Amino acid sequence: MSEFITSDNLRQLAAEWIAQGIRVAGPQRAGGRVLYLPLNDAANLLLDGFIHPANSAKEFLLPKTETLYGYRVEGHDIKLVEEAEAETPQILLAVRPCDVAAFPFLDHIFNWDYADEPYNQRRRNTAIVALSCSTHDANCFCTSVGLGPASERGADVLLVPLTGDTLEVRCVTEKGRSLFAGKTKSDNVAAMSAAGPAPRFAAEAVRKFSAANFEHPLWAEHALACVGCGACAHTCPTCHCFDIVDEHSARVRNWDSCQFSLFTLHAIGHNPRPDQGSRQRQRILHKFSIYPDKFGEILCTGCGNCTRNCPAGLGVLPLLIAIEHEEHLPA
Amino acid sequence: MSEVFEPRIVAFVCNWCTYLGADLAGTTRLEYPANVRIVRLPCSGRIDFNLLIKAFEIGADAILVSGCHPGDCHYNTGNYHARRRWMVFRPLLEVLGFDMRRLHFTWISAAESRKFQQTVKQVVEETRQLGPYQYPTLPTASSGPGREPQKNHFDPETARQRARALLEAKEVDVVIGYGSSGPVFVRRPEDVDRITCEDTRLNLATYLGRKEVRAMGRVAILTKPMDAGALVVLERESQIESGAVKTIPIGEPGTGTFADLDALLALPPDERMAWWAGEFSRCTRCYACRQVCPMCYCERCVADKNRPVVIDTSPTPVGNFAWHVTRAFHLAGRCVGCGACNHACPVGIDLRLLNMAVHRAVDQNFGFNVGADPKTESPIGSWAPADHEEFIR
Repeated sequence: MSEFITSDNLRQLAAEWIAQGIRVAGPQRAGGRVLYLPLNDAANLLLDGFIHPANSAKEFLLPKTETLYGYRVEGHDIKLVEEAEAETPQILLAVRPCDVAAFPFLDHIFNWDYADEPYNQRRRNTAIVALSCSTHDANCFCTSVGLGPASERGADVLLVPLTGDTLEVRCVTEKGRSLFAGKTKSDNVAAMSAAGPAPRFAAEAVRKFSAANFEHPLWAEHALACVGCGACAHTCPTCHCFDIVDEHSARVRNWDSCQFSLFTLHAIGHNPRPDQGSRQRQRILHKFSIYPDKFGEILCTGCGNCTRNCPAGLGVLPLLIAIEHEEHLPA
Repeated sequence: MSEVFEPRIVAFVCNWCTYLGADLAGTTRLEYPANVRIVRLPCSGRIDFNLLIKAFEIGADAILVSGCHPGDCHYNTGNYHARRRWMVFRPLLEVLGFDMRRLHFTWISAAESRKFQQTVKQVVEETRQLGPYQYPTLPTASSGPGREPQKNHFDPETARQRARALLEAKEVDVVIGYGSSGPVFVRRPEDVDRITCEDTRLNLATYLGRKEVRAMGRVAILTKPMDAGALVVLERESQIESGAVKTIPIGEPGTGTFADLDALLALPPDERMAWWAGEFSRCTRCYACRQVCPMCYCERCVADKNRPVVIDTSPTPVGNFAWHVTRAFHLAGRCVGCGACNHACPVGIDLRLLNMAVHRAVDQNFGFNVGADPKTESPIGSWAPADHEEFIR
């Protein structure tokens, strides 16, 4: 037996959640793009007709800007002004499995040496409803990093589209079951999940190459076209680097990107990563070598957003394919 | 008990005329409201618009800028430069829906203490009527028009032939062209088939300043009809030498239109501002707009300066407003309308509209054609005695 819900009933359920004061976010149209945005009107929720939103759902757990605390100068003292964020429940709805699979990474990163309370608080209050993919595009490569269109990693619920307007509801956690309790119908058929893209490269070959070829000309050659913006990192579900700044009497945490020239610029003026080649190398190494060596997993979910959003058509995939090609060349 | 709203006015004044006028008002015991905070600068030409934005950020309700009368500038032409910048800055703020009644510009000489007193009184009274300045409340999601990024396929054959000829004749060392996904750097004649012109979102002139590209030697780039103007601007600004870069034109020129800008301007100012607030709310400050722009070649952008911070780096309503106004204004008389910034924005902010506002102001006010002749002077950085000043009181 499996559980089902129609897309109309799902939107109605979303409307009920919104009415209860729960913050709901999901894919919508804005600015000529499909984006994960806070959902004010459940009717705007998109459930099909797109491959992947242009942004990632990470911004609902790790906002692009966040005040950690404020401060006030009183005489010779500095007083900290700490205002805890209200515990607002939120539901991330119809999030692609490749975005959802990134949340366990973020959980790990924000807890492995230091428990980041602002992150953990949002995480505690968040339920995640994933939406399986029916199609993919040339930028998708989830199957190359051990995931797939119906991956349940990180999800509380996975919705799998059926023909017509129906979605299979696969509850993964207790939290997920409580969201959909009494809202679904049972039937005997199960949804067939899509096969996903054929594997594009062997992750192990990338790790091997990266470990041995720090000075390989491939890095600089590939990075020629890189314009040095942060579109890849900012729309990546796993990129989590941040910058801390003081603005308007508050200490603020903002997204950063390893592709910015300022990212590694020292106060003295020295920049250990002086060109885009070394910055692109860093992005690949972090995801496919440094993180796996440290924590045993590849820090990439194969969503393809870095390529989709790159003004110069780069992102990790073309480089990974080039690396694998290089790795398999006879020495 | 209802409290009377006391507006905060920041007056940016020049050291030689208006500041002395204000001083004279004081010594002659002319009373004026204490709502005004005077910031003394060497010259009205020094009054960077980022100072004005900063003042609003930290709580100003209105701004007064004042300098020497035309002909009186102690640096000869500083006030003319200030006037000219305002001729472009105002239309930009208008498109953003900014309340122009909060911006005041005057000429006040060292002798005009009474004019200073009267101006301050008027500005305070008018601002009191307007109420406190507030950044617009944000709609959480904006459903603006926006545009899907266009890859615009062009026929590559003519471009390939030209590229091959240039490389074979050793007239250039590299041809930067459009491939199937992003740009390709072709260094050998046998590789010109990599030029497929399937993805032409970028303006390839953006690569001319990169040291890796300069190291390759002589360069040719493919240019779409609107792109070539960038080479004129780069030459005008001494970034490239005349004729140093070869161009391989692709595509037929179309006709530009200001229809979208006019549609936006037809909205009431507060709706315009709310719409932009929604657009800017999606900005993450990835700076793709800046990085793809051939005109944004500064080694260190003003947005990256942190000693002191000129523009907030946080993608907040305040920081994003400051960034997008700055970006558009710095392109005054420089933007060639290639649209690369629009295509690059991951969250689909229609930056083109801001560029168009500035472009039209430059065109209408100074009859300046940005892509025409590299020998003509840039409109910002020059001035004319006939520049209009109906906005100066």
